[in-house]
Amino acid sequence: MLRCLDWSAVVAAKTSNSPCAVVYGQRVVSRSVAAMHYGVQVGMRRRHAQGLCPDLEIAAYQPDRDRRAFNTVVRTVNEIVPLIEVSEPGVIVFATRGPSRYFGGDEPMANKIVQALRTSIVADSQFGVGVADSRLAAHIAAHISAQDKTKAPFIVEPEKTKVWLAQKSVRVLSEFANISSETVSLLERLGLNTLQDVSKISESVLAGRFGELGVELHRLARGDEQHPLAAVAPPPEHLCSRAFEEPVIDQQTLLNNIQIMAEEFSDYFVKRGAICVRLILKFESETGAHSERLWYRPQGLTARAITESAKWQIESWSRKSPLVRVQLIADEVRTDTARQLKLWGGVTQVDETASRAIGRLTELLGSTAVQLVKWQGGRDLQDNFQLVSASHFQPRQNELAATTEKPKWRGSLPTPSPSVVYSEPPLVQVVDKDKNLLRVSARHELSAEPAQLIINQQNYKVISWAGPWPIEEKWWDSARSRRLVRLQVVIEKLLPDGSQQVQALLVALEHGEWSIAAIYG
Amino acid sequence: MKLLVPKTLVAKHSLFEKQVLENFAVSDQVRQLLPDSGLVRGRIVRCCGDAAASLALSLCARASQQGSWLGVVGVSHLGISCAVEHGVALERMVFVHPPESSRDWSTTVAAVIDGFDLLIVAVPESLSVTDARRVQARLQSRRSVMIIVDTATFSETSFSNSAHPFHADVVLDSTTKSWSGINNGAGYLQQRQVAIKVSGRRVARTQEHLVTCNY
Repeated sequence: MLRCLDWSAVVAAKTSNSPCAVVYGQRVVSRSVAAMHYGVQVGMRRRHAQGLCPDLEIAAYQPDRDRRAFNTVVRTVNEIVPLIEVSEPGVIVFATRGPSRYFGGDEPMANKIVQALRTSIVADSQFGVGVADSRLAAHIAAHISAQDKTKAPFIVEPEKTKVWLAQKSVRVLSEFANISSETVSLLERLGLNTLQDVSKISESVLAGRFGELGVELHRLARGDEQHPLAAVAPPPEHLCSRAFEEPVIDQQTLLNNIQIMAEEFSDYFVKRGAICVRLILKFESETGAHSERLWYRPQGLTARAITESAKWQIESWSRKSPLVRVQLIADEVRTDTARQLKLWGGVTQVDETASRAIGRLTELLGSTAVQLVKWQGGRDLQDNFQLVSASHFQPRQNELAATTEKPKWRGSLPTPSPSVVYSEPPLVQVVDKDKNLLRVSARHELSAEPAQLIINQQNYKVISWAGPWPIEEKWWDSARSRRLVRLQVVIEKLLPDGSQQVQALLVALEHGEWSIAAIYG
Repeated sequence: MKLLVPKTLVAKHSLFEKQVLENFAVSDQVRQLLPDSGLVRGRIVRCCGDAAASLALSLCARASQQGSWLGVVGVSHLGISCAVEHGVALERMVFVHPPESSRDWSTTVAAVIDGFDLLIVAVPESLSVTDARRVQARLQSRRSVMIIVDTATFSETSFSNSAHPFHADVVLDSTTKSWSGINNGAGYLQQRQVAIKVSGRRVARTQEHLVTCNY
């Protein structure tokens, strides 16, 4: 297994030595080595991290960007090892038996990979190669290797993996095996501190206490694998192949074809009550060059996931000639532990329909044109919520993200909020009764009372006004500092039919220019 | 003598059987504005005037809380904080930015109708009547509700009533009469009075309401 620590921070950092943190929902999810020296930790609040390190670069969490950047690493490793599996950006897993025999042992093989990566983008970051018998053990081994200065690969002897793993604390489960930290803390409170303690308890007892999770825990603690990595070719029956009579150059045409294949492919399994969890995607070009990649998703690969994977693979493959053949090979199939729609709560039929529609819209318009809302907090109306691309949408996950409480920001506007908020505010002139432009002093005092608004050379009388609500942000940083004041203004308008109408606006003054920030529509 | 009526005719004619109207729940304040005391599935509601955006949000809020998904198509200026204050469930709100051309726009809206119960839509000027008809037919067969927002702001031109490509079932025309809570440098905007004119195909007589919006 190859593991690059804090991959998103490596990608996001401008230079390899600058401190950088990737933030998701106000919490640090990943930080660079330089930031780590300042004491920035994963899980820390953004404000706290900035307090420790004022020069910290903050980047938003973008899984797409990480995955794209990781493609270069994947390509480098792929030159040495033929069949690799990328489960998440930053982690590559492969079966070592074949490659190790070719290179004369685990150690020469691992060293070869480290050598190859020293010249690539990850050279300055922490990365490590670990070899062990199970996924979990290899994960830990790679982590140990990554923290080593010399980047020497960490190899656990084949027969000793279980003994080595047994000594580890149960905390590794939450760190490396997607077990929730609550479960791990419960295990600790039950007096099960090492994996050995867990594996000593009989599986049926754990299953009785934790259900399916208990079986999983026991399996992990034993050091067994749920889906052993394949080093041999899969049986031929789960194969979907298409040869193009006319070589395909256009990527969109190719993806459309793959989508049809993927739908047939997943339909085939759905009808048999099965689900494909690991897939080999093979592309062959006119000149005979080919790209082959393993895709693994423990919850099963849907048609949409397959198309998405194909897209990533094609993008990462720098080919010149058009494609002549596409193959989808199911490498690992398991029975579908069917998902019953819940009667109360959870994901309902409506949510399923909506998420299918989101998927279709993303295909139709591209991922940037379909957006979901995420709260992020801020004083300005535009900062308050962030629109995020819906391409990685899963109904349940989204619900959790949105229902977290939204504390009120100090200095934000009083409610009600305006219903029309401009992203590019139209300019306006706010003048006093002598037609002088209104100014604001350093202490946020208005030079006079606003009397008129001039919009597109039309004058509107100000009936009433309130404010100002100032924003002074990041005054310590000249590049990002903002200074503006906002006023609530009620103006009078005459409608074409002669009736009178009032309209409430939010006008803002920034850099000496007034603009309509929002309308109370 | 018993009158024999073929079964197919009974199903077709609302004369023989009262049509069942499926409604989406709405809050008490807007219920009085709507002719069938709720948002009837398969219909189009058009909100115009200066309070169009908040009107549209308050129509959707209750249904959104009860689990319906809301697609916001082409209304890029919608204030999200305002939606939250009206009670729209953010986790079931999706923003879609459709292409401008008539055909692509209607394809996109049709796809949104397929998946979502509620739509808030801004209609582009280029939309042809034929495409609008298609969208309306799809809306009726999928039993969703489309709320059209015509924001008559300072720069944008809005449709006149006759030229609008969609035949709205209910048209809510709003005019803000006064704002209170704000007084020359003191206070802040708190309460307003809006005059709402209700018209449209499903409304027998044009009605005028004066609504006080408390926040």
